[in-house]
Amino acid sequence: MKNHTLSRRQFLKASAAFTAAAALPEQLAKPAPRVAGRLWQEIAPGVPREECLILENPSGSVLPAGDFNRWRAGYGAFWVCGLQQLALDALWYIDPDAGINGVWDNALAAEPPIYNEDFTQMTVKLREGIYWSDGVEFTADDLYYTVELLKNTPGMGSQGLFESNVDHMEQPDKYTVIFYLKKPNSRFHAVFTVRWGAVYMMPKHIFEKVEDPIAFTFNPPVSLGAYKLRDYDPNGKWVLWERREDWQRTSVARLGEVSVKYVMYIDPGPSDKRVLAQMAHELDVIHDITPEGRITLARQSPSSVGWFPSFPWAHPDPTLPAVIYNNEKPGLDKREVRWALTLAIDIVQVALASYRGAATISAIHVPPTGMYPQYYHEPLEPWLNDFTIKVGGEDYKPYDPTAAQRIADEARKSLGDLVPTDPEILKKYIGAGWWKHDLAAAEQLMLDAGMRKKNGKWVLPDGSDFKVPLLSMSESNPTMNRAAAMVVENWAEFGIDTTLDAQANPWPIMGSGEYTASLAWTIETWGGHPDLFFFLQYWHSRVYRPSGEVSVGSNSMRWKHPELDRIIEEIEKIHFDDPRGIELGLEFCKLAVQEMPITPLMAYNVFTTMDTTYFTGYPSIDDPYTNPVPNWGNTKYMFVKIKPKSS
Amino acid sequence: MRKFVLRYLIPRIIQYLTLIFVGITLTYIIPRLAPTNPVEAQVSMMIARGSSLDPDAIEAMRAALTELYGLSGSPVEQYFAFWSRLFRGDLGPSLGNFPTPVSEMIGQALPYTLRLLIPALIISWIFGNFFGALSSYYPENKALNVVEVLGQVVRSIPYYIVAIVLLVVFSYFIPIFPFSGAYPIGTRPDWSSLDFILTYLEHSVLPAATLILVGFGGWFVGMKSLTSNIISEDYVVYAEIVGLKKRNILVQYIMRTAMLPQLTALAMSLGTVFSGALIMEVVFGYPGVGSLAIRAVYSNDYSMIMGITIYSIIGVATAVFLIDLLYPLFDPRVRYQ
Repeated sequence: MKNHTLSRRQFLKASAAFTAAAALPEQLAKPAPRVAGRLWQEIAPGVPREECLILENPSGSVLPAGDFNRWRAGYGAFWVCGLQQLALDALWYIDPDAGINGVWDNALAAEPPIYNEDFTQMTVKLREGIYWSDGVEFTADDLYYTVELLKNTPGMGSQGLFESNVDHMEQPDKYTVIFYLKKPNSRFHAVFTVRWGAVYMMPKHIFEKVEDPIAFTFNPPVSLGAYKLRDYDPNGKWVLWERREDWQRTSVARLGEVSVKYVMYIDPGPSDKRVLAQMAHELDVIHDITPEGRITLARQSPSSVGWFPSFPWAHPDPTLPAVIYNNEKPGLDKREVRWALTLAIDIVQVALASYRGAATISAIHVPPTGMYPQYYHEPLEPWLNDFTIKVGGEDYKPYDPTAAQRIADEARKSLGDLVPTDPEILKKYIGAGWWKHDLAAAEQLMLDAGMRKKNGKWVLPDGSDFKVPLLSMSESNPTMNRAAAMVVENWAEFGIDTTLDAQANPWPIMGSGEYTASLAWTIETWGGHPDLFFFLQYWHSRVYRPSGEVSVGSNSMRWKHPELDRIIEEIEKIHFDDPRGIELGLEFCKLAVQEMPITPLMAYNVFTTMDTTYFTGYPSIDDPYTNPVPNWGNTKYMFVKIKPKSS
Repeated sequence: MRKFVLRYLIPRIIQYLTLIFVGITLTYIIPRLAPTNPVEAQVSMMIARGSSLDPDAIEAMRAALTELYGLSGSPVEQYFAFWSRLFRGDLGPSLGNFPTPVSEMIGQALPYTLRLLIPALIISWIFGNFFGALSSYYPENKALNVVEVLGQVVRSIPYYIVAIVLLVVFSYFIPIFPFSGAYPIGTRPDWSSLDFILTYLEHSVLPAATLILVGFGGWFVGMKSLTSNIISEDYVVYAEIVGLKKRNILVQYIMRTAMLPQLTALAMSLGTVFSGALIMEVVFGYPGVGSLAIRAVYSNDYSMIMGITIYSIIGVATAVFLIDLLYPLFDPRVRYQ
């Protein structure tokens, strides 16, 4: 008697046949319509390559594709897929560099903000004749609605900001909104002022019809900028924008002709692939690559240009990578120890390890970028040369004005003629001086602080361990990681018990204070404007949070000082453009140098590299009309200066 | 049949469900032991990118995101809420891409991963096992020795290095394959178009070649070591003595016997494809689950990490479960009893 209707072999054969049939793409079985004939030069159907500027989206693939609700809380790669650069617009922009017509631009606003005397009212007058891409005029209704909706909708990015600041608003006419603030705030306009990003305007006529503004994807986005969405990849690899036919009715039109017809932001993959893509002229603007990749392009791709025409090529962002100490940790709570750790760092080695020397160093606590060398670095140079600290009871001058020169000399050994020799150019490109690498002075400072050496390692005055693991970024930022590795090496040589603690995302760890030292940044500035309240707002003792609690903003080093509070309070009382602001900024710089709560290193150099095969007119140190780093909202100004070569 | 159900099927189903329960619970716990959380990751990302937020705004955003992401309440409350959602098939919203559902994002990425990884895995498995057995049975064959050396060399190289080498050679020096992606920039996926499918296949060649080359070495070595023991078994020696054809001995006596552990390994490997080939997808810019996983880790996207891991756990557990049930079909020596 047969137990089975199918034998084992028959079953296996039948299963294999069934699986193969099911796996065959059904599409192969039916005649497939051909894709409409595409010219090989086309980057997308109907989009000629020479008319399409291709830029890297440094946030990678835009997932989920098709979400353009920039106002929702949290960050998404879609913010910088062209949305905030091309389609959205804000009241004001401050350029991180020199700007097209100066650093301040009244974009959607007709003039700068008008405050009353005690900064409890801010009046905004809007520009007339600006239209959304669907033909509706932009008016005070949109501004009023934007603030009202954001204020009343938890889960929107700026809800807390408006809730805590705005008492009510008035709209006296079609182009004016008056904000009545709950408390004096001389910097309230900053929320509407783009430095990388800001609160962008919402189209009232779209959002007012939406039931759930948090879930709304704003797709397709109605544009207020010179471009509108043409298409995007459902897998987020590219987003294509097309110049509006009525681009003259947008805020950039008064600055020049928008000549680039199409713009595409893509995810080109890791650094090596970006280099290959630009050498093949398939990527016009690289956001950032490794120093080695930049050197390769300098040597092998004559059409590639950078911010600087030669070494160090990179655009220095108004961000200040630094060695950040948790000022609450035993040992690091002493100024002498923080200074000792500073003098134990060899900035030449750090610059070479991180950027192959292509760094722009800063001895003071503001980035050496944009207009800041004029505002702060140059005026402070004489003071730095004379500045002294007490080492073993004696006055000691820690400043080394030759640091940048020494970096250039070392870099020249491997890069040869790529490194300039003119001292003035070097100062402009690499910065001025930094702090001496002086282990003897560092040792004396440690002894002055009561620290002792045991078995070749520094210990706390009570003999307990003094461990300083250095937190850094791993794959997310290899350049910073390499800098951190060199600092660890320098400190270990000095007898510090230290290790490198590389994390993919160190920021939340710093925020919670669960660290000892970190190589990251806590100082970012406007770049073009000297006001330091941009970061100092977080450094007042009234918003101080001890380790274990999450810091408010960037005071992750847990530094507080009565003099710092005084400076911040004075800044709060003066107008944004008051010349006294620079004086107070200089006072801050001097205080920070004396206390050294963090050790400033260099600007955050971004190796933005632009290919001139199809387009020209990119910003550079010689024409610094804006920042070329493509994820900045401020790069909207590039599109009135970049011209296709074919035109 | 009753005996089969009681003594074999039910214990294995219990084992299967327990494995999934423990795996998912661990997946729930582990990301929460990390020193960071998705709310801080989001807030710090916004601050690190230079957004102008005053201190009050930051505090309010923290509270709002905690509420929105469903992270308010005790870990135990969150754990039960998580299971309650999971039983309804809801993996929750992605915290790094809020409010898009995790299942929607995985659903979009998974077909790309499966289309690439499954064929690559099966091809490398077939060739690796075939040549591994041949190499073991014909140790004097010089061509097979060369194949073995190449397999061993490639196997010892990390697969992202193999990927980059292939990329540089075949996309740059000999530019016959594309640099990146599953299809060209500027193209929308259109699975009804033969042109698109051919383009897609062209883009899959290098990623697949990487996986096949690296996978081949592993299967090759595994099969060779398995068969080298079987060759000296009595029944093989006997088959040779009685003068059976060498090809028959190799296929029916040696390979079939050695195939069982390789089938188990194949099933487990098929289960793991749900988690994608992380670095390969990053190197080739491939829009699969591996790319999603890396982004989720960077942004502390608990929901996404759990979603991908749950798919993987269920994939591996199901594959092992099925292979347990199917063993007797492949090897008549195995019986449920």
